[in-house]
Amino acid sequence: MTKESLTNFYHDYIHPLFRNKKSLIGLIILLMYILMATVGASVVPLNMNSNFAERYQKPSLKHPFGTDYFGVDIFQQIVHGSRAVISLTLLASFLAVLIGTIVGVARGYLEGIAGKIIDVIIMVFLVIPSFPALLILSAIFMDKDLNVLQIALLVAIWLWAPLAKQISAQVLSIKTRDFIEASKILNMPLRYILFNDIVKLLIPYIFINFVMQIKGAMEFSVGLMFLGLAKFDPTHWGIMLNYALYQAGALYTTQGFHYLFFVILNIVLLIYGGILLSQGIEEIFNPRVRGNE
Amino acid sequence: MNYVINRVIYLLAVFVIAVSGIFVLVNNMPGDPAYGLAVSIAQQRNMQIEQALEIARSMMGIDPDESLLTRYGKFMSNLLKGNLGYSAFYNTSVNDIISKSLPWTIFVISLATLLSFVVGIFLGALAAQKRGTVIEWIISTVSSIIQAIPPFILAVLILFVFSVTLRLLPLGGAYPVDVEPSFSFEFIYKMFLHALGPMLATAIPQMASWTLAMRGNTSQVMEEDFIRFAEIRGLRDSVIAKKYIRNNAVLPLVASLAIGVGYMLGGHTLVESIFNYPGIGFYFGKAIAVRDFGLLTGLFTLIVIGVIAATFIADFVYSLIDPRVKLK
Repeated sequence: MTKESLTNFYHDYIHPLFRNKKSLIGLIILLMYILMATVGASVVPLNMNSNFAERYQKPSLKHPFGTDYFGVDIFQQIVHGSRAVISLTLLASFLAVLIGTIVGVARGYLEGIAGKIIDVIIMVFLVIPSFPALLILSAIFMDKDLNVLQIALLVAIWLWAPLAKQISAQVLSIKTRDFIEASKILNMPLRYILFNDIVKLLIPYIFINFVMQIKGAMEFSVGLMFLGLAKFDPTHWGIMLNYALYQAGALYTTQGFHYLFFVILNIVLLIYGGILLSQGIEEIFNPRVRGNE
Repeated sequence: MNYVINRVIYLLAVFVIAVSGIFVLVNNMPGDPAYGLAVSIAQQRNMQIEQALEIARSMMGIDPDESLLTRYGKFMSNLLKGNLGYSAFYNTSVNDIISKSLPWTIFVISLATLLSFVVGIFLGALAAQKRGTVIEWIISTVSSIIQAIPPFILAVLILFVFSVTLRLLPLGGAYPVDVEPSFSFEFIYKMFLHALGPMLATAIPQMASWTLAMRGNTSQVMEEDFIRFAEIRGLRDSVIAKKYIRNNAVLPLVASLAIGVGYMLGGHTLVESIFNYPGIGFYFGKAIAVRDFGLLTGLFTLIVIGVIAATFIADFVYSLIDPRVKLK
């Protein structure tokens, strides 16, 4: 990339994000969690040893989020868990967008029987209820020690289909425009038409979808961990949620309420950051949906 | 007519592939499908588990040496006869379980859909028309925050607040165990009370997405030329708001209503399990836990049929209510 195209990229895509209120707040929230996962996890110590003298302590200066039923600091666990949560969520969103874009562009561009076959494949993934299917698929791999990439892929398999359908519709409408005809008449290679003419136009759209996938990827991965269907980092927030509810019995004693509360607060705040950012991007690139300014 | 035939062949292909995929997935899960029944036999007759396993297998008609392909053939030929299979754990046909549990799920989902759609349309239109005011800010912010709460966490919160802490709602079931089902006022009231928790957990996230979608559609319609023209013609604001803006903004949402109901069937699993509400989602969760492959495959098939039917209906509804759309 030349310096000029970098400046253009900044001017077209990055700068507007700081000027829109929603995307700015969303970015701040997401950056905060990314900082937590990178810097925070190496600065904050993690002491998982149980300390029964300090169990179920209310939030204080010493324990910002209080302690759990083993007397372990909740804040430390949240900080260290954010590493697993963020990496898993971003990877799953990225994979879902990658698969969705490739399949969607292929479906939009290909004609005849090949296009029909891809169409049926997309539809199959749309009609199979995704969360239950994810549960079954994870149960199959439950005994294996999966790494982040493999779990992210399990999640992404059930997220890409709606995106592929939308992208194929976009490609179908771009395909009929004059400049594509021109490229075809000029005998441009297929690679050029796909990447320079079609995918380039879709970039803002793909970017919005990457951010929107964060919600789905978070929900799925937290749900998976919550049900204990994937072995992973014990400080992953989904596993903490399971402990807070069932092991510590937060549902039946008010003592452990802060445990449940802080885990849920962090899950919801992270997803909310993603939602705000995607709403902001949508307002920037599609001014008609703009609400109050 | 040609369109309809093409569409039916297409959806049939999707159905067969989806169901076959599910069959392979479910049958590759670790665990013995006869195990659930064997445990209950071993308990009832006080015998060793190995012996019970053999009895269970013969009762279920499972041959452990039978290949996946043969089982698949049996499953498909049963499916053609409208038989969704056999549940090992409950020792009865899947159709039986469905006829017992599906009405509860449909009861909750239809109440939730009705409530969320009506309230969502109202709030969304209100937000768009009060653009730039506090009302709009509150409606959109609350809807966005609700969207950030994963539905199963919302279900846990509702259970915690209304059933455990305030004790306003029951802890589970579809009706109290000590009351015989009847058409008495008391029974119907209790039934609603039991459905309220799962209903709210399903309706609230839906409400938020209908609100945001309706707000977006309304602001788009408000920019259209025919609205400006109606204003110039001197029509009253209330007429424009109802007949011109709202009706046009609702159109695309009515079509997605059918699809939404279809997807809710699949998304209801965790909510029903959390509330112990005996709909198909509850049995689904149970089937995963006890590795009841027959029940799992049957329920999956039912949901896929529901979603495909909903997609088909949505296409038709859309062409009926929007004269600009012609079925190709």
